[in-house]
Amino acid sequence: MVVGDLAQEVDVLVIGAGPGGYVAAARAAQLGRSVTIVDKDELGGVCLNRGCIPSKAIITAGERFAQMKEAEEIGLEVTGEVAVNMQKLMDWKNSVVKKLTGGVGQLMKGNKVEVVTGDVFFNAKDAVRVVSENASQTYKYQDIIIATGSRPFELKILPFDGKRILSSTEALNLQEVPKKLVVVGGGYIGLELGTAYAKLGAEVTILEGTKSLLPGTDDKLTRIVSRKLKKIGVEVITDAMVQGGENKGEEVVVKATVNGEEKEFTADYCLVAVGRKPNTDEIGLEQIGVELDDRGFIKIDDQCRTSVEHIYAIGDCAGGALLAHKASYEGKVAAEVIAGQKSAIDYQAMPFVIFSDPEIAYTGLTEAQAKEEGYNPVATRYSFQANGRALSMNQSEGFAQVVADKETGLLLGVQIVGPEASSLIAEAAFAIEMGALAEDLSLTIHAHPTLPETIMEAADSLVLRLNK
Amino acid sequence: MAAYQFKLPDVGEGIHEGEIVKLFVKAGDKIEEFAPFAEIQTDKAVVEIPSPVTGTVKEVKVEEGEIAIVHSVIAVIDAEGDVADQEEDQTTTEEPASAEPVKEEKTEAKEDNKTAKTETTSNKKQKVLAMPSTRKLARELGVVITQVTATGEHGRITADDVKKFAEGGSTKSAEADEVKLLTEKTSSADVAVEHEITGTEERLPLRGIRRTIAKRMIESKRTAAHVTIMDEVDATELVAIRKWAKPVALERNTKLTYLPFIMKAVIAALRQFPTLNASIDDEKQEIVLKNYYHIGMATATDKGLMVPVLRDADRKSIFDLADEITDKAVRGRDMKLEASELKGSTFTISNIGGYGAQFFTPILNHPEVAILGVGTIKEKPVVYEGEIVARPQLFLSLTVDHRLVDGDVAALFLSQVKRLIESPNLLMMEMR
Repeated sequence: MVVGDLAQEVDVLVIGAGPGGYVAAARAAQLGRSVTIVDKDELGGVCLNRGCIPSKAIITAGERFAQMKEAEEIGLEVTGEVAVNMQKLMDWKNSVVKKLTGGVGQLMKGNKVEVVTGDVFFNAKDAVRVVSENASQTYKYQDIIIATGSRPFELKILPFDGKRILSSTEALNLQEVPKKLVVVGGGYIGLELGTAYAKLGAEVTILEGTKSLLPGTDDKLTRIVSRKLKKIGVEVITDAMVQGGENKGEEVVVKATVNGEEKEFTADYCLVAVGRKPNTDEIGLEQIGVELDDRGFIKIDDQCRTSVEHIYAIGDCAGGALLAHKASYEGKVAAEVIAGQKSAIDYQAMPFVIFSDPEIAYTGLTEAQAKEEGYNPVATRYSFQANGRALSMNQSEGFAQVVADKETGLLLGVQIVGPEASSLIAEAAFAIEMGALAEDLSLTIHAHPTLPETIMEAADSLVLRLNK
Repeated sequence: MAAYQFKLPDVGEGIHEGEIVKLFVKAGDKIEEFAPFAEIQTDKAVVEIPSPVTGTVKEVKVEEGEIAIVHSVIAVIDAEGDVADQEEDQTTTEEPASAEPVKEEKTEAKEDNKTAKTETTSNKKQKVLAMPSTRKLARELGVVITQVTATGEHGRITADDVKKFAEGGSTKSAEADEVKLLTEKTSSADVAVEHEITGTEERLPLRGIRRTIAKRMIESKRTAAHVTIMDEVDATELVAIRKWAKPVALERNTKLTYLPFIMKAVIAALRQFPTLNASIDDEKQEIVLKNYYHIGMATATDKGLMVPVLRDADRKSIFDLADEITDKAVRGRDMKLEASELKGSTFTISNIGGYGAQFFTPILNHPEVAILGVGTIKEKPVVYEGEIVARPQLFLSLTVDHRLVDGDVAALFLSQVKRLIESPNLLMMEMR
């Protein structure tokens, strides 16, 4: 500590104001603790500023634009020119982000959470130093929640330059629609943004290092998405090992080995989206003995406790699925544990959503996973092509699949690829949490004509199969 | 159909009895092979006993809360299909059935020693079927939800099931009734003074090791006639010899405390007074004198008192004893001791010297008949060769079961221990 530096005593300190941190701060405050939250940037974290929200705005714009071009199919003739005004699109996207970050600000204010801006560094087990542009202050705390999140993983052979070689952050702030865009990485971030820019008019090539798009996702689901990508003209090259790239001023050249052959891809922008790494390396954690795993994620127990007493961690920096909703869930758990409640991370179903075209969403176990876990699973699916609402929306690609245990009928998992899959999965996660049988889904009245009927129909066939 | 005599399988090395914590079935119920039949509390954990056959339960011969003996018949099951040769069948079906949960119990104890997760999952299909709000309620009430009997459809655990479990409403043994009576009494007292209570209180179910301790202590107090005698021992030479031996011990990486010396003195005295290394077989009304010296060492852990046993301590060197004491204390605190290491002692030493106390009245580690309480060592003014001088004193408290050990024998034993500690050189004379 610097001589003359007076430590400010606080009760609960939260580092990181993303969907984990701000939820934790609000909950802890609601439970009677006095809370201070620190972030080096705007409130809302990656999710609101550089992730979920802005990407969904751009995806929606791309989707609407594509629909307008297809409007003739459903009898709408667009006579004038439909054009993208990227400047206005970005302004609108920024206004959405601003509304939400403003909302987080209000939430903090309403709960009397003090907001501090600056970089955080631990200088003791019970104190951090917060450094902002022109000030530096030590805070001593009773309990701390680390919610520092993650950042895009950088390839050494293709480092971000922010101009032509972009991370997702810059790709969400483009001032023009790229003519040609090379996406390195066929995971959900690359796929979502690649699809959106393709719909806005870019010629998009996705380079994926493994054998298929969306590694880790059931290939029955990705197949439908791959088909659609072909239709909208996105080229997907799998088994493509990127060897490097160069910013040539007006364009970027990416080199990759595809099936043993050296290839060059020229584009005006290259988006590198090959994963994310935890923000646990620059805050002095090793000094105070907080244990990390071999990939740099903070080790926590089922109550979000780290290896050091009074230090908790939640969200991306604590590993597991890197999902905003998982961070928020853990934020509540950590806040409640700090407030003396017996909360724990205890869920049966984590929903995963990918805003591809069509959307993918899944929760619980797939048929293969269920088998591995010792169940005797049965899976049935129902196509959106037989769903009235999907057809009347002119979006009938995909299906909903229900997995249940043959002996007990217990609902084990649901996988959906199709329109609004991201919203449909909520019912499935709820049903699994409640311990529902497939029959419960089939006996619940689903309004007609709506997309969720597909889940009911899939469950219906499953029940019939079980009773055979 | 054939009547299958379901005998309690051997749930762990050498454990010959266990408390039936929970029965998953009652007479008339159908049960599948490998489905959970009962939960048994052993010294260390709750182990789930699966049904060895598929069939209908004809009779359950044990009740929740009852202690069942290994290999005694706990139920008769009308088994489906042929259970041709009962004797043979048992040896074949029991072994896998018993080996499995015990193995899991161990790995679980290793993986998770912070929270007392004693549930075992013998197959993966036993996912807990309970609504999130019910799971939360269980956490709040301190209930391990996997131990709760489900009454809901398809094995679903309801909020009521959790509440009932927390209240312990399903236990039926005489002892449990007594406990119930006690709680009823206190709770009516609570009601009377309710308006006077200003602070909050927390209620936790009495389970696992704490419950075992509670039972053992009461059992000991109820059975034995406790008498405690105390004495001060001049520890000058003990301190000196330990100081002298410490660097030698350090060379072989041994942490040398006073305890192994005291243990050696105790064993030498036990040889002289065998009735302190004995027990009473209440059932047969016989005195059992033991010609082996397994010394129990009371050890504090986060979960409560544990007594690891140093077997054949008379045949081990002081250094070896020191190493074993360190090892067992560490593993005891980490809950990593095997069940077999926690039983069979013939005499127990309880050392609370580290906490600064002098005298106390130890409770016998029943069925043993003597326990030595070791207090702190500190300098005190004493009369030595006609002068008042400051000398290190060690404080000993010996509790004996007066049913077997009379006061004179106890006093002679303690004075022999005292003599050996005051002149540790004598220990060499006792060496075999």
